[in-house]
Amino acid sequence: MALLVDKLRPRSLEELTYHEELSKRLRSLAQCGDFPHLLVYGPSGAGKKTRVVATLKELFGPGVEKIKIDARVFMTSSNRKLEFNIVASVYHMEITPSDVGNYDRVVIQDLLKEVAQTQQVDQAARQKFKVVVINEAENLTRDAQAALRRTMEKYSPNLRLILLANSTSNIIAPIRSRTLLIRVAAPTHDDIRSILAAAAKKEDWPLVEGLNKRIAEESGRNLRKALLMFEAVHAQNEKVTDTTPIPVPDWEVLVGQIAKEITEDRTPARVMQVRAKFYDLLTHCIPASTIIKTLCFKVMPLVDDSLKPGVIHYAAMYEHRIKTGTKAIFHLEAYVLKIMKMVEEYLMSMDM
Amino acid sequence: MPDIRTFFGAKGGASAPKPAPKQEEPAKKSRAKGRKVVEDSEEDEPVEVKKPTKPAPKKKTAAPTEVKGVEISASNYFASSKSNPAKTESSNTTPKATPNATPKATSKTQVRPGVEVRMSPRTKKTAEPAQNGKPTTQRKSTTAYQKHDQYDDDAFMDDDDDAGDDIYVPDSKRQKRKNDEYVEEESEEEFLPKPKRVASRADRPPKVEPEDDKPTPKKKAPAPAKKRKSPVTDSEEDEDIKPAKKAAPAKPRAPRAKKGPAEEPDDIKNILDNLPTVDAPDAPPKDPDAKFDWRKGGGGHASAPPMAGAAEIPGGEENCLMGKSFVFTGLLKTISREDGQALVKRYGGKVVTAPSSKTDFVVLGDDAGPSKLRKIKEHGIKTIDEQGLFYLIKTMPANGGTGVGAEKAKQKREEEERKIREEAAKMEEEEKARRAEAEKAAKKAAVARGTAPPAPSQPLSQLWTTKYAPTQISQICGNKGNVERIQSWLKDWPRNRKYDFKMRGSEGLGGYRAIIISGPPGIGKTTAAHLAAKIAGFDVLESNASDSRSKKLVENGVAEVMTNTSLLGYLAGDGKKVDSGKKNIVLIMDEVDGMSAGDRGGVAALAKFCKKTEVPLILICNERRLPKMKPFDHVAYDIKFQRPTVDQIRSRIMTICHREGLRLPPQVINALIEGTNKDIRQIINMLSTAKLDQKTMDFDQSKAMTKAWEKHVVLKPWDICQKLIGGGMFAASSKATLNDKIELYFNDHEFSYLMIQENYLKTKPHSLDTRGLSPREVRYKSLELAEQAADSISNGDLVDRMIHGPQQQWSLMPTHAVFSTVMPASFIAGSFTEQTTFTSWLGNNSKYGKLSRYVREIHSHMRLKASGDHNEVRQQYLPVIWQQLIKRLSVEGREAIQEAIELMDSYYLTRDDFDYIKELALGDCDEGKWPIETQTKAAFTRTYNGMSHPIPFMKASNVIAPKGKSKDMPDLEEAIEEEDDADLVEAVEADDDDELDLAKDKYIKQPKAKGKKATKKTTKADDDDEEDTGKAKAKAKPAAKGRGRPKKS
Repeated sequence: MALLVDKLRPRSLEELTYHEELSKRLRSLAQCGDFPHLLVYGPSGAGKKTRVVATLKELFGPGVEKIKIDARVFMTSSNRKLEFNIVASVYHMEITPSDVGNYDRVVIQDLLKEVAQTQQVDQAARQKFKVVVINEAENLTRDAQAALRRTMEKYSPNLRLILLANSTSNIIAPIRSRTLLIRVAAPTHDDIRSILAAAAKKEDWPLVEGLNKRIAEESGRNLRKALLMFEAVHAQNEKVTDTTPIPVPDWEVLVGQIAKEITEDRTPARVMQVRAKFYDLLTHCIPASTIIKTLCFKVMPLVDDSLKPGVIHYAAMYEHRIKTGTKAIFHLEAYVLKIMKMVEEYLMSMDM
Repeated sequence: MPDIRTFFGAKGGASAPKPAPKQEEPAKKSRAKGRKVVEDSEEDEPVEVKKPTKPAPKKKTAAPTEVKGVEISASNYFASSKSNPAKTESSNTTPKATPNATPKATSKTQVRPGVEVRMSPRTKKTAEPAQNGKPTTQRKSTTAYQKHDQYDDDAFMDDDDDAGDDIYVPDSKRQKRKNDEYVEEESEEEFLPKPKRVASRADRPPKVEPEDDKPTPKKKAPAPAKKRKSPVTDSEEDEDIKPAKKAAPAKPRAPRAKKGPAEEPDDIKNILDNLPTVDAPDAPPKDPDAKFDWRKGGGGHASAPPMAGAAEIPGGEENCLMGKSFVFTGLLKTISREDGQALVKRYGGKVVTAPSSKTDFVVLGDDAGPSKLRKIKEHGIKTIDEQGLFYLIKTMPANGGTGVGAEKAKQKREEEERKIREEAAKMEEEEKARRAEAEKAAKKAAVARGTAPPAPSQPLSQLWTTKYAPTQISQICGNKGNVERIQSWLKDWPRNRKYDFKMRGSEGLGGYRAIIISGPPGIGKTTAAHLAAKIAGFDVLESNASDSRSKKLVENGVAEVMTNTSLLGYLAGDGKKVDSGKKNIVLIMDEVDGMSAGDRGGVAALAKFCKKTEVPLILICNERRLPKMKPFDHVAYDIKFQRPTVDQIRSRIMTICHREGLRLPPQVINALIEGTNKDIRQIINMLSTAKLDQKTMDFDQSKAMTKAWEKHVVLKPWDICQKLIGGGMFAASSKATLNDKIELYFNDHEFSYLMIQENYLKTKPHSLDTRGLSPREVRYKSLELAEQAADSISNGDLVDRMIHGPQQQWSLMPTHAVFSTVMPASFIAGSFTEQTTFTSWLGNNSKYGKLSRYVREIHSHMRLKASGDHNEVRQQYLPVIWQQLIKRLSVEGREAIQEAIELMDSYYLTRDDFDYIKELALGDCDEGKWPIETQTKAAFTRTYNGMSHPIPFMKASNVIAPKGKSKDMPDLEEAIEEEDDADLVEAVEADDDDELDLAKDKYIKQPKAKGKKATKKTTKADDDDEEDTGKAKAKAKPAAKGRGRPKKS
């Protein structure tokens, strides 16, 4: 009994409900026989992966659905062993090089070459080439991306790449120029609502239009999030109404607390308390940029309008520093102190 | 009168300088009494008034000496009338107490509240120790006095009644007192003198005031001084300290100072009398629960003086503070504590850390520690500020004049000098004897050889360190116990060997074939080892860092030695007898921690030898706790050498100086010893250098020299943080340059900035000028400072990335130092308001590593079913799955088990993943908040294990390694050792159980219960395994030779 989000996942291009135009194009690409390298990008929860899988099915037939996880061990040049999981079918394989952090180049080099140098075994296969799907492509190091460049051209008879990324900003230009860029936009609120309604119908749940609307808005147009919220609401409440509270993920609750705390009491001692919470979030694998973004949005309603530009400005600034630096906690703290200072300044000017 | 004086003098002479300060306290009090009395009498002799006042103070003063009598008498006194005072005398051991205590009183032990109120806190405190200290003696003495009292009664009465006129009374009293003292004296030095004096004073004031010009110089001196002072001090006190103290007790303080050192000769006394004293503020009430947080108190010595440089440091006579001991407390205004201490030391004074009854002066600054203040009160120590200190230095005569303390110190020093001379003479003799013997032997040899005897050899040009190396156990400075232990171990070695080291002996020494000596450099480890060997009759074979000691060499070279006997057992030089008993060898491996890169495997080989050596083995190292030294952990007996104390070294150094004709005053030697951190070798080397061009050395030179010779001590992260933030480096008066601050960062560049980051929010910044600001503004300012610091730290992290990231711009290190450490510290430098803690970043980082591995594991399992990267899994899926799994199990219990397992199976989650999910939950969903009943959990585990689960997995089986590249061996000496054995064992194991090998795979727990897919995989894995074991077998041989990396299937 999987969760709704996976149970109801469309399996083929026909089943996809929104971005009809895109589905059509993908279908024609798959059918034309000269399938290009793809770079599929868009926000998370927009349906990139779903579309890619559907396209693969269109390419190879139902065989791509028989997948397994294959764990391989790589040896780095410094003799470190890397365990690496590959999701593979006979026709394609899906890798997440960012799993191995800075060693992704090794994986890309060794694995891709290995795949590219062997031909399709199944003579009955519809395509001569195999497809490698690279998840989280935006997290590839520059070295790994550079390693990709030449591979993409040299082995094109045997190999097609599909890169999945949240944004193209981290992808080097040579790769962008070698791929067909496909943008999968986030579903609109209406899209989400109709999908939720369909899901409710399938599950025999009552249709609560108001709640669905709220979920669509709360989810930030992230369909995965919306479906999970939808399920959570229904799982936790016997009877759902328009006003049933939508459960908030644990980490968001915590970030909300932080936002409240730092606007209420603005002292270094409070920062110390908040630091512990930040550490909690970070150690529990909430990325620092997510934290700072969420924090920024949670602080927003708590401060005066005149401070809002500042809050956003510094959020952006420190988010950038988090990306360029190494120790996120330093920047999170600096951001918190900035907010505190701004709020304090504002309150003092009010008093005078 | 004269007899009194002699009396005092004798006493004073007998007692150490300590008594003086104590005496002061009571003196003051008595003073108050005295003064009051005078006023009263002048006004109009109101008998009643006078009496109460007088007795009360007396009682107070008496308190220290006689507990029982005092308290009671006080109460009695207040309660009733005149008749009491008369009686009281009888009970008193000391003259002071006498007036009040009645026999009755003595019998009573109760303390009346009234009394307590009357007493100043200080006296009370003194009283307490007295009580505890010597109840028995006191009682004895009381009885003794009783007798005297009988006939003294009248006299005393008189004294009380007509305080002003009676000169003779004191005499009689005194006599009695004398007696008392004799009884008590052995038991109590400190308290006795006090009462006497007080008593005399009590009598005196009336006398003195009317007929000012009189009696003995002694009496006179105090009186005027008193007069002079009291107004001044009083006014001062009133202004400054009033709030802190109770008025009455406060006043008498200053005058007391004068009276205290009654034993001092006049000149000194005059100086002391004129000494500007300050009053110690009352210590805050002691709260037994609350531990004083010294950080809050401004950090004491940690911060720079606020007005540094404002005062000129005076010069004074040499050794003028000799025999005086000082305690520094609080933050001085014009000089730093270190400077003050150096000043005192330069003039021969002694600096101690905690005030005690032996302390002469307390140099008091702001924010003094409450416990010190309490002590000061308790002991009635004279408190001065730095002005007082300067005054002392300026005015005290050379060598402390003829002051009692100084005399004593002088005596002590003379004694020391005498001893040193003796030592030196002995040394000289020894040397002479040695030389004579050598000459004799040489002559003999020459005769034997038929050549002319060589000319008497010139005195050898030896290093001083060799020349003055200890030749007897008694000459070793410190660590006597350790040396003895080495000796006894060596002595027992043959016997222990006979018992195969099974008899461990009382200290466990018998169980070891080897010992390892550790300790800082220059404290005589090698010397002690050699000496112990020599004395125990062993020949020493030494190997140190200058010898190559790789594994092979250790094995071959040392192993040969192990089975050898000393050649000296068979042969001897010309003219010497063969000593057949001399076949013992001890192997001393010096500088074991110096075995490093070049000596590959040496440590491990040596550790092995420790287990089977046939000769005693002494290993010497500096740092025992290095991981490198770990192999010696259980094979060698640990002997830790401590740094000797200053006193232990000093006499030795002085002896050497004397021998070499260097004239160094003791304080210079002390400074040298402290400056070198008690490194004897370094001191001797310094002396030998100094000898080249000078005959003496003064304090400043020695300071400069130690500074020049200073070993660079690498600070620990804590100290760096403490020094940067709390060390006053950023105070306006600080002389630290930017480079100095950057240098601090480089003491430990990996931790310093993390420590700063951890602690930068815990300070009260000094740069925060709170004057004239509202609390609000102060808060804003401090927030602003913290914000600036945080921003700077954040900038520093960017630089850090440039250094440690792909760019490797190591030249940016100083920039990083400034941004990450110096700049933040400059904003928030001040005093810590909380305990500094170790950086939590490291712990959190490793926790992050662990949890992110969990997330990836879960993600990799869910991948077949779920889309989204691991962040999405963590942020979106996990909260929902947590609700459905953990929360439901927690709330619903067993009913939810089935569905939970279904959900897990649908996502291919394993039982481990279940725990991971639990651990990954956060905040309100934290593990602790949703406990799952043990029963439910057990049932869950049982059910889970009882079922088969789909496994989407193929275990990683083959290592893909770039072929053809031979792997370099890691350059770690220990690595080889471990690998040798481990590989062999492992290979064999792999041979034996292919089948079992499967069981090791955590995903293949129950081969029978596998789904179709899983079984297929298992067989596949099986194949792989077989292949692998084959490979492993093939590899086993080369691996055994220590080649190749471990290849495990």
